[in-house]
Amino acid sequence: MALPLPPGLTPSEVGFLCEMEQVTVIPRQRLDGLELLGGPTEALRPPFPTPLPLWLALLLKKQRRANITPPPWLSVEALTQILDFEMDERTAEVFSPSPDLPAATTTAPLEGDPYLAHDSLELSAPFLKDAATSRAQADALPYHWLEVGHLLLTHAADDFDDPDTVRKLLRDLREVRMSKLRKGFKVLDAGGGVKMNGVGGMEIAEVRGFVGGVVDELRRLNRSREESRREREAEERENGLGSSSYRDDEDEDML
Amino acid sequence: MDDDIADILASVSAPPLPQRTLDLQALTRAWVTERTAPELLPYPTELVERVMERVGKQISTIEDMTGTMDPQANFTLVILQTELERFKFLVRSLVRARIAKIDAYPHHYLTLPALLSPLERQYLASHQALLSSHYSTSFLSTFPTNLQKLDDTAGGISMVDKPDEDAAVFCRVLRDAGVVEIQGPSQVSEAELKRGDVWVMRWSTVREAVRRGDVELI
Repeated sequence: MALPLPPGLTPSEVGFLCEMEQVTVIPRQRLDGLELLGGPTEALRPPFPTPLPLWLALLLKKQRRANITPPPWLSVEALTQILDFEMDERTAEVFSPSPDLPAATTTAPLEGDPYLAHDSLELSAPFLKDAATSRAQADALPYHWLEVGHLLLTHAADDFDDPDTVRKLLRDLREVRMSKLRKGFKVLDAGGGVKMNGVGGMEIAEVRGFVGGVVDELRRLNRSREESRREREAEERENGLGSSSYRDDEDEDML
Repeated sequence: MDDDIADILASVSAPPLPQRTLDLQALTRAWVTERTAPELLPYPTELVERVMERVGKQISTIEDMTGTMDPQANFTLVILQTELERFKFLVRSLVRARIAKIDAYPHHYLTLPALLSPLERQYLASHQALLSSHYSTSFLSTFPTNLQKLDDTAGGISMVDKPDEDAAVFCRVLRDAGVVEIQGPSQVSEAELKRGDVWVMRWSTVREAVRRGDVELI
């Protein structure tokens, strides 16, 4: 009954998420618009390109009812350019930047329960517009780059101009970025607070156990230092202001 | 100035997303958050109600369509059923992840009934009642009376296990959310949460921002 998995998404769950990304298909058969639970789909009329969720596109592709147009960032030129950026020594510390984000469209409401409320819901991957469609930004890898690339190369390799080169470039990119991630582990500290802009969903799934484990374990090792620092600060505050009421039992709760 | 015009154009030309799409985003986020956060989040009652109502309707649509022998309709049926299964997986996985947390820290969540759905409250209460009567008949009754409690907090040590609020989580900033304090072993540092940033942080640092919808877990 209860889910036997540890916290954190597994790679297959990340794959499930990535299948909600929209891709562009070129239909080979007519299909009326469908009233799906996740919103209506456009009617398919060959040969007009239409955006569809990836899981549906793959279903159509398997039955040879449609072709999938790979997103622009999944081309040999774009991937070569991104790989150059990743290999460049000047940018050895960071990942290539994610696609440009549109400005936030919502503001947090001041009262009520804002968690998941529609009027303050900010879209994010896999629902960001045009992350993997043919109108996607060419010079940046979206959050689900590895998963989308892998699925398209596995199930729709014939829709690529040069699938083997793309596959090779994706593998290179993955390796370069993984080694960057591993180098980045040096800065992990007990406080947490490590910035990882540009990291992909599958990459997180791969390192979550390690990063989370290291940060948590360091915290455990440094707990007494941190607690004595907090006590000292609280004391200083008390002496300085004379009014703050520091509660000693807070730390004990954590033990 | 140009930016303003572009913003206005974008807001006018982009059609508002249908409710159902927003619900899918919200449900997906609820699932990911519940799968990654060390603590239970409030149960999204209305969201799950809306989704389950639509799932019920979709099932009856599918049942109505099953009678036809038209091959085109059959393929549509396959698509509808595939999507239905995806939704059912999301809801089921969300509920199961919650039960796993409730099972792990039952006494802790007994004190926080606001986070649970009525069904979860019922489950927790009856499960705990069964467990404690089992413990007491099998061994607890032979203990001295003052050692029989399962949720003793006397003597400064609490028997009630709590989830690790300081566990590290991966999160993405959805809206600029100001500055948060990061507690470290030797000093407190500050981090500015800007839209699009990805951070590894303690859950206790970002919990409020997640509840506000400013930050999401990934």
